[in-house]
Amino acid sequence: MTELAENPLLAGLGPRRTPEPCALVVFGASGDLTHRKIFPALYALADRRLLPESFAVVGVARSDWTDDEFRDRMEHAVREFGRDDFRQETWDWLAGAARYVATDFADEGGEDRLRETLAEVDEERGTRGNRVYYLAVPPSTMETIVVALGKRRAPQGWTRLIVEKPFGHDLGSAHELTEKISRYFAEEEVFRIDHYLGKETVQNMLALRFANGIFEPIWNRQFIDHVQITVAESLGIEGRAGFYEQAGAIRDIFQNHMLQLVALTAMEPPIDFTADSVRNEKVKVLKAMHTPGPKHIVRGQYGPGYVEGKEVPGYREEEGVAPDSATETYVAAKLFVDNWRWADTPFYVRTGKRLPRRETAIGIQFKRAPHPPFEEAATEELRPNLLLVHVQPDEGVSLAIGAKVPGQGMRIRTVHMDFMYGGAFRTDLPEAYERMLLDAMLGDQTLFTRSDEVEEQWALVDAIVSAWKRDRPAFPNYAAGTWGPPSAEDLMRRDGRDWLRN
Amino acid sequence: MSATHVHAEEWTGEDVDIGDVERALSDLRSRSAHETEGPDLRTSVMTHLAWVPEEWREAAVETLAGLGEHHPSRVILLFPAPRGPDGIDAKVSVLAFPLAAQRRHIAAEVIELTLHGRMSEAPASIVIPLLVSGLPVFLRWRGRPPFGAPEAEQLVEVCDRLVVDSREWPDVPDAYGQLPFERTACSDIAWRRTEPWRRALAGLWPGIEEAGELRVRGPIAEASLLAGWLRSRLDRKLDVAYERAEELDDVAVDGEPCPAPRRQQSASDLLSAELDEFGRDPVYEAAAAAAID
Repeated sequence: MTELAENPLLAGLGPRRTPEPCALVVFGASGDLTHRKIFPALYALADRRLLPESFAVVGVARSDWTDDEFRDRMEHAVREFGRDDFRQETWDWLAGAARYVATDFADEGGEDRLRETLAEVDEERGTRGNRVYYLAVPPSTMETIVVALGKRRAPQGWTRLIVEKPFGHDLGSAHELTEKISRYFAEEEVFRIDHYLGKETVQNMLALRFANGIFEPIWNRQFIDHVQITVAESLGIEGRAGFYEQAGAIRDIFQNHMLQLVALTAMEPPIDFTADSVRNEKVKVLKAMHTPGPKHIVRGQYGPGYVEGKEVPGYREEEGVAPDSATETYVAAKLFVDNWRWADTPFYVRTGKRLPRRETAIGIQFKRAPHPPFEEAATEELRPNLLLVHVQPDEGVSLAIGAKVPGQGMRIRTVHMDFMYGGAFRTDLPEAYERMLLDAMLGDQTLFTRSDEVEEQWALVDAIVSAWKRDRPAFPNYAAGTWGPPSAEDLMRRDGRDWLRN
Repeated sequence: MSATHVHAEEWTGEDVDIGDVERALSDLRSRSAHETEGPDLRTSVMTHLAWVPEEWREAAVETLAGLGEHHPSRVILLFPAPRGPDGIDAKVSVLAFPLAAQRRHIAAEVIELTLHGRMSEAPASIVIPLLVSGLPVFLRWRGRPPFGAPEAEQLVEVCDRLVVDSREWPDVPDAYGQLPFERTACSDIAWRRTEPWRRALAGLWPGIEEAGELRVRGPIAEASLLAGWLRSRLDRKLDVAYERAEELDDVAVDGEPCPAPRRQQSASDLLSAELDEFGRDPVYEAAAAAAID
């Protein structure tokens, strides 16, 4: 940081990351994401004094609200969804920085009003023309906004563009969107958000692997039998039929969150923790990834059932869903990463809605000890070593090891050693959106997805989806509240393995 | 040993030895595990020692109450009571904090030892058996450490970081000259309190590069550290005018007021922040040295 070199008073104050003065412009400000995530995250950042003193947030949406109405709604959102106790002093500061522009995104006049508002904000709040545009809007609207913003770039200051997922709906559309964005914005200005990467436990995967000398030497095909990753949701589609009917589980979760988790698990050590070093290694994994064929992909759709004791409808009975919908709500796959480290080591992944519980976990299953010198009966309760990274909930890491059962004789069974985030660091984990918003304001792209990364993800998804087009699935094929269709169990059992149940 | 009572969360004893304390800890951990649905987790990041003379007992307990949530490692509170016959009275607690959204608990261990008579002159030999192996030791010294006295010398040798609050000292800024920077890393909560003001002053750069006068209203410790910091960072002499006040609330450079930072942190938050720091802080060391000028 040249600023630190020039200003001796900043020495020792380095660890706190405070962005330069800027205005955050949220498109889609009346939407669910803004209420549930973006504003509560801004409040949490403000409460911890992580936002710049010269800061403004401008909401943009079609709803015909005034500045005060917008502030009132955001105050309610912060009170309802914020992770901190509500502190009036913090809110007053944030509300004082908040403005609202009501406009249709395609409305030229609206774009001009936004530009005028931002000019006023620069004057009043000292935001110096620095802009972070957050596109929390459907993909169909994105292009219009990108073009409008590109044509009206502020004459001074820097610009950053945060783009919510999904980034396209296949390889072609993702490439096209990248092309359009790149006409107005450099890759260094584009922040494709996958909020999973903002989760502490996902980042902890990098710490676990690359800050501990004991794991990396055995993190390969010689010692690891297989990897299995579960992203399970107990919720249904929660009124998002319009989006979900088009996306399905493969575009909603598999293409982004799931493949990111695979990439972080399989990547080589980056030479440093800069954005391009980390993303270069992830792209190499994605390029090397393949699935051995359609038999190794399972798709499913939930029927009626019980989740947490409550009777829930099947997917086709959800409001807005076609009664003969062929959209998958479950995907399981066997993947391979074709490189020296992982050759022939399967990565089993599964994601689905209306599964028995909400859980995201990465299981690293090690090979059995080659020759345990105990009688078979002594080790019948002993399972292979397992390193289980709990992404959510119960954030932490467990290592399953064999230990002697106290008493006469030699009986060995599996016990779990737990590291729980909440145990070692009794501080509330920041929400992923807090980290992502702050990083975007700071210009740090490490946790954001690069265009080539997105395209590699889509290439794999396209290969899977094209095979699906050849036949019509017999849906529904699993009951809500179960762990997916029986064929997902078969996927593992054919290889003599099982999905983890914990 | 004459233990008064033992139960799942707490054990007390009079005239005990360290073996009694270790057994009590083990017993409490075991009982605590049986009372909850799963075993309590022990996930330690440090041993937190605190030397608490009688006059600081109430404030120390209050600060620790707000701290347990953040640093549930082993806490050892030492209460010196030099008068009377030699002996150690102990209270051992295993506190179970629920983990959010889980049925499990995280166990924090608090060992309170009252060191009677000459026991208070040999605290290191008492605490060393109780330290969590392989983890850093933070020593919070309430009040003014008697540098040079046996208890201070011994505990400074044991710890990896000494945490003080020079606002509690009657003789700042001169006392900064006695801080044992060469023997252990030192932190000062008074220094931590100046951080928002230091950030605010840093925001005035380069306008204050040639600063000649600093006016501060606040406690003498924070005021002198702020002055020392500016002197050392700018490498120039600075005239300083102090006005005593309960909190640091007004700073001006060459007559120009510095914009007041937002909210101050609580005592627990301030200590918690110090317990997250490792290694020496050269900026603080330079500021403390320059504060004496």
